[in-house]
Amino acid sequence: MLRPIKHLRSIRAKRFLSTCESYFPDEPKAPILKTSTIPGPKSEQLNNELGEIFDNRATYFVSDYYNSKGNYISDADGNYLLDVYAQISSIALGYNNPELIKTAKSDEMTNALINRPALACFPSTDYATILNEGILSAAPKGMNKVWTALSGSDANETAYKAAFMYHHTKRRNGDFSAEELESVMNNELPGASDMVILSFDKGFHGRLFGSLSTTRSKAIHKLDIPAFNWPKAPFPSLKYPLNEFEAENRQEEDKCLQEFESIIKSYNGKVAAMIIEPVQSEGGDNHATPYFFQQLRKITQDNDVLMIVDEVQTGVGASGKLWAHEHFDLPSPPDMVTFSKKFQAAGFYFSNPELQPNQPYRQFNTWCGDPSKALIAKTIYQEVVKHDLVNKTASIGNYLFSNLKSLAEKYPILNLRGENFGTFIAWDCKDANERGKLLLSLRNKGINIGGCGDYSIRLRPPLVFEQKHADIFLSALEDALKEL
Amino acid sequence: MATKYFPNEPTGPKVVQFPGPISTAKKESLHKVFDSRATYFVVDYKKSIGNYIVDVDGNTFLDVYAQIASIPLGYNNPALIEVAKSDKMINAIVNRPASGNFPAEELEETIQDLLAVAPKGQNQVWSGLSGADANELAFKAAFMWYQAKKRGYATAFSTEENDSVMKNQSPGSPELAILSFERSFHGRLFASASTTCSKPIHKLDLPSFNWPKAQFPSYKYPLDKNEDANKQEDQRCLDIVEDLLKNWKCPIAALLIEPIQSEGGDNHGSSFFFQGLRDLTLKYGSLLIIDEVQTGVGATGTFWAHEHFNMSPAPDMVTFSKKFQTAGYYFHDPEIVPNVPYRQFNTWCGDPARMILGGAIGKEVKSNDLSAVCKRVGEYLYGKLEALQAKYPTYFQDLRGKDRGTFIAWSFESGATRDKFLTDMKQSGINMGSCAETSIRLRPTLVFEEKHADILLAAIEKVISGY
Ligand SMILES: Cc1ncc(COP(=O)(O)O)c(C=O)c1O
Ligand SMILES: Cc1ncc(COP(=O)(O)O)c(C=O)c1O
Repeated sequence: MLRPIKHLRSIRAKRFLSTCESYFPDEPKAPILKTSTIPGPKSEQLNNELGEIFDNRATYFVSDYYNSKGNYISDADGNYLLDVYAQISSIALGYNNPELIKTAKSDEMTNALINRPALACFPSTDYATILNEGILSAAPKGMNKVWTALSGSDANETAYKAAFMYHHTKRRNGDFSAEELESVMNNELPGASDMVILSFDKGFHGRLFGSLSTTRSKAIHKLDIPAFNWPKAPFPSLKYPLNEFEAENRQEEDKCLQEFESIIKSYNGKVAAMIIEPVQSEGGDNHATPYFFQQLRKITQDNDVLMIVDEVQTGVGASGKLWAHEHFDLPSPPDMVTFSKKFQAAGFYFSNPELQPNQPYRQFNTWCGDPSKALIAKTIYQEVVKHDLVNKTASIGNYLFSNLKSLAEKYPILNLRGENFGTFIAWDCKDANERGKLLLSLRNKGINIGGCGDYSIRLRPPLVFEQKHADIFLSALEDALKEL
Repeated sequence: MATKYFPNEPTGPKVVQFPGPISTAKKESLHKVFDSRATYFVVDYKKSIGNYIVDVDGNTFLDVYAQIASIPLGYNNPALIEVAKSDKMINAIVNRPASGNFPAEELEETIQDLLAVAPKGQNQVWSGLSGADANELAFKAAFMWYQAKKRGYATAFSTEENDSVMKNQSPGSPELAILSFERSFHGRLFASASTTCSKPIHKLDLPSFNWPKAQFPSYKYPLDKNEDANKQEDQRCLDIVEDLLKNWKCPIAALLIEPIQSEGGDNHGSSFFFQGLRDLTLKYGSLLIIDEVQTGVGATGTFWAHEHFNMSPAPDMVTFSKKFQTAGYYFHDPEIVPNVPYRQFNTWCGDPARMILGGAIGKEVKSNDLSAVCKRVGEYLYGKLEALQAKYPTYFQDLRGKDRGTFIAWSFESGATRDKFLTDMKQSGINMGSCAETSIRLRPTLVFEEKHADILLAAIEKVISGY
């Protein structure tokens, strides 16, 4: 008897429920602050203990993930913060999303966890289906294959490997020479490669040795680590607001394009690929216009340089498109697109079959990905589609942006960036010191938020961030700015 | 334990048709989206159980390869199913934290479980995601440690360092090396591939760091009949190491070695050799990193293979992955933690879901003393293989792994015979792996027992007696 009534109620209620409310009926209505500063005493104590066995000096606070919900992260002291940082931009559907819980509890997940396959040698019956229904359904236009990896750095490095092998194979007629086979065992040419990956000033692509060689954001990411002496090109520094500086910005982009072209043309050696973020995120949320990316695509094609777009941070909806580079209307798709973070699974998309090395066991390792993460990615993608979360994020982003623009008239919100770019929004503070103060003040008002670059603040909420969350954020921000 | 975990484990392999039609079709369709050219067969993991792997055509193989040495407790182990279904696991999967910034309350407990099985002398851990990742993180720690020794742990970076590093140039990006060995395997990302030296195909066409290689001992077998020659071989190799530590064109921050070179052919080194390496690294101020990615977690009869060597003092770092399901490195010197935060860092800094599994695996291995089981079963298996060797010497060259649990290998006279043997074994229901050019290696799970050994031995003899 009870059942149909409940059912009816939920249908009726559903019409009025936002996606977030339907996922998280008991999401907190606002931040809940139990301690006067964050981290609170319990967080401090737990963190001190953890420090004995694990480097935790970058800890903001110790989190209670069991009680975190939707857009709110809970900490060890029982505080609930509105989270617009979301695990460095890697939570897609909010904390404890019921659909992800369902997937996590499924037999498929248990199977993927406890019988982890060496995927390239012993793939499971359902791996093709999991990929097809998830990661590949989400593929950017023009991409129909994937190689799976484990993190953003790993995704980029496997893409670099594909690029190097592709170019060498093209240049070589047939088999490896005896000299190549021998020299490579001494890490020497010609078996080892002297080709390079070009990246951009202030770019961030990860922290393993190949990816770190392309990372150009901050010295602290790179110091003391041997690096490949690979080239970098300048990334445009645009002036804001964009509509007031169109001519200057075009000039700046042309200058960068010229320099890019001149580097790859005059480079003493072969530039196998270039890698670029649609928005340089760690490096300060630096944007360039579609024109810049379109031209890059043309130049790379004209010069036989592969174009790798690093969508590790920008991918999966936050920009108001599923993939941020879809904003650019490129003349032809990039050669590879890398992903991780919000997708939980990592890897790179491609379409040219020659980006698969000419022989097996060249792009290879023990696990070659992780089916448990591919399952999560599949659910994330299906939920994003089902609830139209990309378009919703686009419109909430517009709301957020226009309100920030109004605040910028009264307060030092400088170089506001990310118009028509979903919730992928950032601005500059006067200096690092003021940024630090603002971030802390916001945290103590119940907003968990992150910086990027030297003096910027970035918004990276999940895809279930809605107007009511935006309002809470905006009013906390205004209070914090007032107090500066 | 196998019976307790798996009351329904098959009593033997069953080959219907191999390669089967469904597997072949599935492999092809997978290839449209994911490179499947290295695929042996497509697996039905839901039906696989204990030591037996079942493919989509219903072939049931006794698995002594175990996902390239990475399944610890057999397929569908009930203890792990319980962990996979626990609230802790669900929480770790759906709320994957950036543990460097926002560690979970339970992270300490999760790490304590990993530390409960740490090698002697190690009391801290940094986590990664794969074997290559674990090694490269350890290299980074070694490089930062080395420069800190030179500069002073608390000394600030110079302006010149800060500027040059953004151009990938010295002194900010210093020229430093990791010393590894010929025939070693440490992974396939750029730095780990620079230390890997097993086969050209792993390395060709990749830019690499021009880091040095020492020689790993090549012993004469059987060991007990060649003690003097092998001791001389140890000394010869140690001299090469010392020469490189002294004379290589740039400083060597760390020496990296597997307790048993696995991909490179299951090459063993003696306790004398390993202690010699420990002494040399101390003498020349380099760190000693032991790569236990393939050897770790019980199979050699001790939880960590390098524990057989009783090195003193303990190695500086020990890397792990594979059977532990979680990856990373153990260490103990507080100065292996870089001087400021955000230097050893990335988005996730590990994966709690996998760490929880690793902790549970450690507990099962300890509480059921599975290392001892491997030791016992390994002795049994090795003895029987010795008997087969006496009977068919050409097909059992350089039998290796005495007193190393089930971590056993031997060589054939040629790669072609070895490959034929592997194919024939598959037809006989045994899934088995090779290493280097002419060897096969046994890498069963830790729940491989005498009854499985008997099935394996019978199949080997049946195949070889037909040659
Ligand atoms: C654009 C981009 N690429 C790559 C990475 C590296 O990802 P991971 O930390 O997972 O290695 C990041 C991480 O912040 C990133 O933002
Ligand atoms: C000793 C050793 N180290 C490192 C690795 C690399 O591990 P992964 O394939 O997980 O990167 C392997 C893999 O076979 C290995 O055997």
